[in-house]
Amino acid sequence: MGLTRKPESTMKKKKLSHYLNVIYELSRLDFKLKYYGSVLGLLWSFLKPFMMLAILYVVFFYFLKVGIQNYEVYLLLGIIFWNFFADTTKDSTVGVVTKAHLLQKTNLPPFVVVTSVIVHSLWTFLITLAIFFIFFFALGLHLTWSALTLLLLVPSLIILTAGVSFLIVPLHMRFKDFGHIWDIFLQMLFWATPIVYQYTLVPEPYSRWYLLNPVARIIIDARNAVLYNFFPEAKQLLITIAITAVVFAGGWLVFRKYGRTFIDEL
Amino acid sequence: MIKAKGIAKLYRIPHEKTTTLFELVLGYIKDQVTYENFYALKNVNFSIDKGEMVGLVGKNGSGKTTLLKILGGIVPPTEGEFQIEGTVAPLLSLSVGFHHELTAQENLYLYGAILGMPRKEIKDKLDRIFDFAGVGKFRDMKVKNFSSGMIARLAFATMVQTDPDVLLLDEIFAVGDKDFKPQCFSVFEDYKRRGKTIIFASHDLTAVAEHCERTLLLDKGELKAFGKTKDVLDQYGGL
Repeated sequence: MGLTRKPESTMKKKKLSHYLNVIYELSRLDFKLKYYGSVLGLLWSFLKPFMMLAILYVVFFYFLKVGIQNYEVYLLLGIIFWNFFADTTKDSTVGVVTKAHLLQKTNLPPFVVVTSVIVHSLWTFLITLAIFFIFFFALGLHLTWSALTLLLLVPSLIILTAGVSFLIVPLHMRFKDFGHIWDIFLQMLFWATPIVYQYTLVPEPYSRWYLLNPVARIIIDARNAVLYNFFPEAKQLLITIAITAVVFAGGWLVFRKYGRTFIDEL
Repeated sequence: MIKAKGIAKLYRIPHEKTTTLFELVLGYIKDQVTYENFYALKNVNFSIDKGEMVGLVGKNGSGKTTLLKILGGIVPPTEGEFQIEGTVAPLLSLSVGFHHELTAQENLYLYGAILGMPRKEIKDKLDRIFDFAGVGKFRDMKVKNFSSGMIARLAFATMVQTDPDVLLLDEIFAVGDKDFKPQCFSVFEDYKRRGKTIIFASHDLTAVAEHCERTLLLDKGELKAFGKTKDVLDQYGGL
């Protein structure tokens, strides 16, 4: 009759739409719970990067006299990219713990929980990025074609962040003190990423190691593209994408193997 | 249809319970981490046909819930494999992970989605679910204010609406009142007629005897018997 699709592919399609549904419902409820009873609600998500900007700007521009042109925009772009990485990885580990009751009682796949966290912070990230550009143009700055590189860099950041989240969630499920380790690691990585300073300040023998940090690579290239109007070197861009792909593949493999194993230990 | 082949589940329980990474690393260095290998299930084999409602009995800690968790796809087995035809709905505790700070209706949207119903479909079935559960008045009340019996009814009513092919039930009558039981059994009888498969784990042996043709008996993780309910229950009585 009219049956043209193979049953297997319809099953897959059905599964995908099922997962999308659950992700939608989970992020919806997370949103409700997160802002329940708070006066400013959603605004907090957008206030946070600007508060951080104000603090770091005062300290580094006025006290330490960092001489970077358009330092406010320089700083803000770094903060927004960094916050997405840091908040998402942190929230995914917290997410599986708060969803422990669902994971243990229903056959909700753990990857759906992590994905819903990523989707949730992705919205905040994209809206904050839009606010960044309003700020950017309000300051009288201009974009050139090089800004198109963002279309590669932003997805790289998202995939990288997803990969790291998938990698650390099983660790967090297994070890109670992983949360503290990750907090410290994020703090180290914050200073090992050129958010408040320029990466050219890193002394020569260390800079090649420094540039293995994919978050640093993405932020450096994003600034070049948006603020300094030049395209990143193709080779460097390829290295960034390669690191991202490796991290994601590794994270996904670990998660596939151990995502369900530790549900009982939550 | 459910087929289980050589299913085993191993839990490694550290002798000195290590929960933090620091303690574990310290333990490895001092060579102190030893594990007790605890098999919650050992080499479990069985095959259940379509349209069958099978009882699952055994003492506390015999592996009933672990078996249902594995069949429901919640935790992977350590060894062995299983085959299930169609959609599976595990009902492993009658709180099924409802969030206490959300209203009944909000919880149903999430739970329904997990069971495979899109928002629109749940919306259409919401009235029927609340009717069946008999808690329609409390739609917008937070679940933390519900009694455990009311939560059980809601969970069961939602599950019924998803119309699964395989139903895994773990001690679902623990909190329901006298009306809840017959309501559930009329659903089960209907499911049997429609060729669905049910595994019914319970300590309510009268209910098992009344509704299950065949029964599985687990003891210390091993499948001691699988056959006519009457014989199996006799054997269970002698354990």
